[in-house]
Amino acid sequence: MKPPLVLKRLMTVSIVMLLLLLAAMLLGLSAGSTGSSLTAVVQTIWGKNDIDPTLAAIIWRIRLPRVLLAALVGATLSVGGLVFQALLRNPLAEPYILGISGGSAIGAIIGILLGVSPFPGVSLFAFIGSMATLLLILMMVSGQTILKRESLLLSGVMVNAFCAAVIMFLVSLTQDSRLHNIIFWLMGDFSMVDARQVAILAATLLPGMILIFWFAHPMNLLLAGKEPAQSMGVHVKAVTVTLLVATSFMVSATVSHSGLLGFVGLVMPHLLRLLLGPDHRVLVPACILGGSTYMVLCDLLARILPEQGEMPAGVITAMIGAPLFIFLMKTSKR
Amino acid sequence: MNKEYPGLIDFSPGFLLQPVLEKLQVKIGAIKSAISSACCLVIFSLVAGGLFPPTAFAATYTVVTDLLGRSVKVPADPRRVIALAPNITEIIFALKQEHRLKGVTQFSDYPVEARKLPKVGSYVQLDLERIVALKPDLCIAIKDGNPRSVVERLESMGIAVYALDPRNLNSVMETILAIGRLMQAENTARDLVQTMQARVARVQTNVSKAAGRPGVFFQIGISPIVSVGTPTFIHELIEKAGGRNLAAGDTPYPRFSREQVLGLSPDVIIITSMARTDIFERVKEEWSRWPNMPAVQNRKIFITDSNLFDRPSPRLVDALELLAGLIHPDLIRENQSP
Repeated sequence: MKPPLVLKRLMTVSIVMLLLLLAAMLLGLSAGSTGSSLTAVVQTIWGKNDIDPTLAAIIWRIRLPRVLLAALVGATLSVGGLVFQALLRNPLAEPYILGISGGSAIGAIIGILLGVSPFPGVSLFAFIGSMATLLLILMMVSGQTILKRESLLLSGVMVNAFCAAVIMFLVSLTQDSRLHNIIFWLMGDFSMVDARQVAILAATLLPGMILIFWFAHPMNLLLAGKEPAQSMGVHVKAVTVTLLVATSFMVSATVSHSGLLGFVGLVMPHLLRLLLGPDHRVLVPACILGGSTYMVLCDLLARILPEQGEMPAGVITAMIGAPLFIFLMKTSKR
Repeated sequence: MNKEYPGLIDFSPGFLLQPVLEKLQVKIGAIKSAISSACCLVIFSLVAGGLFPPTAFAATYTVVTDLLGRSVKVPADPRRVIALAPNITEIIFALKQEHRLKGVTQFSDYPVEARKLPKVGSYVQLDLERIVALKPDLCIAIKDGNPRSVVERLESMGIAVYALDPRNLNSVMETILAIGRLMQAENTARDLVQTMQARVARVQTNVSKAAGRPGVFFQIGISPIVSVGTPTFIHELIEKAGGRNLAAGDTPYPRFSREQVLGLSPDVIIITSMARTDIFERVKEEWSRWPNMPAVQNRKIFITDSNLFDRPSPRLVDALELLAGLIHPDLIRENQSP
């Protein structure tokens, strides 16, 4: 582990992916339901267009918050997937699969049905939901070692099935116009966020991302197995619990803003691992930037594909993610 | 932290130590510039928001109380109105103020001219960007349907939003008067409401002569079977049209099994054609398989246009007359105006 080499790779990867992210965000800012030329958008972004205050308002106050939200959510979900895959040494692990997202969604739906404020009310409910599922999963596997991956994954799958049933139950109880909102939100909807909410979300997520980056090396060692990691001086249980709680917290924060977005946490880490190798010191920042880019592009597709209105971004992530994931599984087995 | 994770100091900081500090400084620099540029963006957007709406300088404003009791600053003579629900579009057309209307929602299909206006999404899933791009000086919203978050976003961008909450025939008339006041069409609104009241009164006089009140099952959903409870317009219309709503109850849109419907033995079944008509023909056929049901014996299964019944617009009176004609054909036929 010679730092300079890693650092060089880290810098290169970060800069390239940051450029990709910026390009994706520019695309995200320039496309929307009202047509406007790319040059006009670029002029407005550089502050050179004072003629059309409406376009400026649309770009800064409608498109920018949602592009930033998509980036934050994509970053969180893919880095969350990366963490779960490292901790469980299982390529199928992901917040969505483990039921963490589902638990957050139950909490958030209860919050919506009780009519609490979107922030902090619904977010708080979502966090309680995700913590409850995490606790449930940990309790079910207690007595065994946490790292026994089959049991953790299986209990996660069961928790997820249960969450799905509870969500359907809550949705079937709802009979008014909130139903439409809940369903749209469940599928991942970025459209209704404002700048203040994005700022709060970013402030919430940033410490978690720094924490995960800090633990990048222990995650590398954990990949070798629990005993080798312990012999190398990693406090396995503490690292596992800290990362699980931090990741669940981050996921619940994003779920309460944008609903359930599946497969982002599977696709991005796999793709980047194929490209960059298994070193988490590079993978964590790469996943943060790559996940952001991916989600910004998915949201862009969700906005421009339908002629009338827009579709939820979750539809796009699942439609791209699931086939790509199957393809990755098949190629990596060879 | 060191006590908690004794093993970590050997690794993470080892990796993070020297070179990363430099890198962090680079990162901090990047973060700093990002923050400053973000500040610029915020300031710029605030300035842009301040300029918004562009007509602000020319128009005069008045502060009014909308039908939710919020005080709203609206233009005295609104020129660029967006109706955020189909019934609002219908009311504005009925008041002949359509020249003020610059945007409508997806299903605004009545009157036909409304279809040509720019669409701003459906009323539950509004497209904020399109609304803003149309540079409205007034948006008219409906409490039950338009998401509150959209209204708040619009107001935060300096666009006046007047909210309505029609709950029954009387409040629809109040709504019409309120929109009339907003659009300097008070007299037209008053005339329209008087005509509506007269027509409602005529229907009620007619059906009051009826011997009984037939049990009406009003079906708005096929699978599951959904009807309408007491807190709905349709319930009020059924009662005013001289029928008895078999699904009356606190639930606005109660679900029924086929068994339950048969148990209610409805005298009249009315199905609204929200989806394609052929599906509803099939539903009608399905009910016809139960010859013991009074509605089947009397051949009183009808298909109607759902838009007439679920929009709190002046056309609710048309719906009432239609309904009265279906429930009491003998009493209404000679009086009904086309």
